[in-house]
Amino acid sequence: MVRLFISGFGTVGQGLVEVLKRRHDFFENRFGAQPVVVGVIDSKTVAIDQNGLDMDAVVARKTEKRTVSDQTYSDSVKALDMVDYDILVEVSPTNIKDGGTGLRNITHALECGKDVITVNKGPLALKFQELTDLAKRNGCKFRYEGSVGGAMPIINLCHENLVGENIRSIRGIFNGTCNFILSKMDNGQPFEQALKEAQQLGYAETDPTNDVEGYDAATKVVILANAVFHRNVTFSDVKITGITGITPDAIAQAAAHNMVIRLIGEISETRLEVAPRLIPIGHPLSIAGTLNIAQIDADLAGPITINGRGAGKIETASAILSDLIAIMDVRE
Amino acid sequence: MLLNAELYVRDLPGQLVGSLEPISMVDGNIIGVVHDREKIVNQRIMVSVTFEVKNSRKLEELKAIWKSKDIIISKMGSVYETVTREFMMVGRFNATYIENLIDEASRIVKLESTDIGYSSKNLNSDKRTAMITAEVRCREDLDKLDRFFSDACEKDDMLYIRGL
Repeated sequence: MVRLFISGFGTVGQGLVEVLKRRHDFFENRFGAQPVVVGVIDSKTVAIDQNGLDMDAVVARKTEKRTVSDQTYSDSVKALDMVDYDILVEVSPTNIKDGGTGLRNITHALECGKDVITVNKGPLALKFQELTDLAKRNGCKFRYEGSVGGAMPIINLCHENLVGENIRSIRGIFNGTCNFILSKMDNGQPFEQALKEAQQLGYAETDPTNDVEGYDAATKVVILANAVFHRNVTFSDVKITGITGITPDAIAQAAAHNMVIRLIGEISETRLEVAPRLIPIGHPLSIAGTLNIAQIDADLAGPITINGRGAGKIETASAILSDLIAIMDVRE
Repeated sequence: MLLNAELYVRDLPGQLVGSLEPISMVDGNIIGVVHDREKIVNQRIMVSVTFEVKNSRKLEELKAIWKSKDIIISKMGSVYETVTREFMMVGRFNATYIENLIDEASRIVKLESTDIGYSSKNLNSDKRTAMITAEVRCREDLDKLDRFFSDACEKDDMLYIRGL
């Protein structure tokens, strides 16, 4: 029986609970047992049960009272130590300034010899090398598929299916919010109006800085550079240009040349950047809407294009599920 | 060497083949042929051929064979492969600024051709957009051009958007 501790119980944490329920028969058939959630923390409270929490009750309480229990905590690391678990699933909100609680939780779990699955981009963008080294030293599995492109399988694809390839570059759209805004601008809407619509539809935060200034896409570029290209880079190494300076004139000029403007993240031996680029209409990277897409240039296979939903409750949880199964397969 | 030649051959049966055979005789490779029967000068018809030969010694051999077969070479030139990329700049500038930028760029790389398009004046914004389409001979030159434009935009506080 694998015991999970879920750190962060917002959309993605609750999505994971739903996905585990939906895959009940799958776990039964493959492993003969269900993964059990023995601990959950949100930003203020902690719920634990060494025999396994009643997750329907935890979700219901979170929905009703916005907390997972009455028990508050002051230090998330101490909350993690309140129960014995095998895998930490770290899905607390991303903090790209200092990694925040997520970085502390992941570090502590790895130091304690626990396996870790995360979709939290902050710790990976800031301390990738330190965390992977720590995991290696302590013999822990450390997986983070959902941190780039949500449901779009890119990291495990490169690590597993393309393991024999020399990957020369990855170029892609790694922020669905920016792509939604730019797609709307293609149709004549000004930036401010397109942003407002993205906020109303829930694609953009009230403070959209991380998205529109390219910071969110840059965190994913850092993760791919480290994970796929084995570079030792951090957030500050990425050359970042956002989309706020793109004018309707620029969009019209591009259209006159049968092109669109898209915010592209690019990683290669010589380039590490996020910037608006001119893309010919019909090129895979000219995709419209909120989808994420990546084009991998491999020396033997040539260009491989993948796309998928970059965010969403169940979509992101699906990436966590694939990491969980991979770890459980090894533990078996 | 990739070359293009404009030949004039006598308007007689077998002359077209006769003008192309020498290319094979010097181990060359024919890429394309246009046989223009409407372009007749002094009872000769024009044959435009694009071909590859290994080196200039082989080319001289070929020219000698053509001459011995009474084939007139009216034009001969090298054909280069070129690469093109678009570069967009958004900011406060005038046409002279962009033209000076292109002049400076042409001192760094050999520009085969450039095309510049500007957005029309916009009452809502004091920013303009320039779209430069540049054709150069190799990818290395494109990268040099990219670095040059990128540095210029950073220095002059303009948004720089380049093609893939």
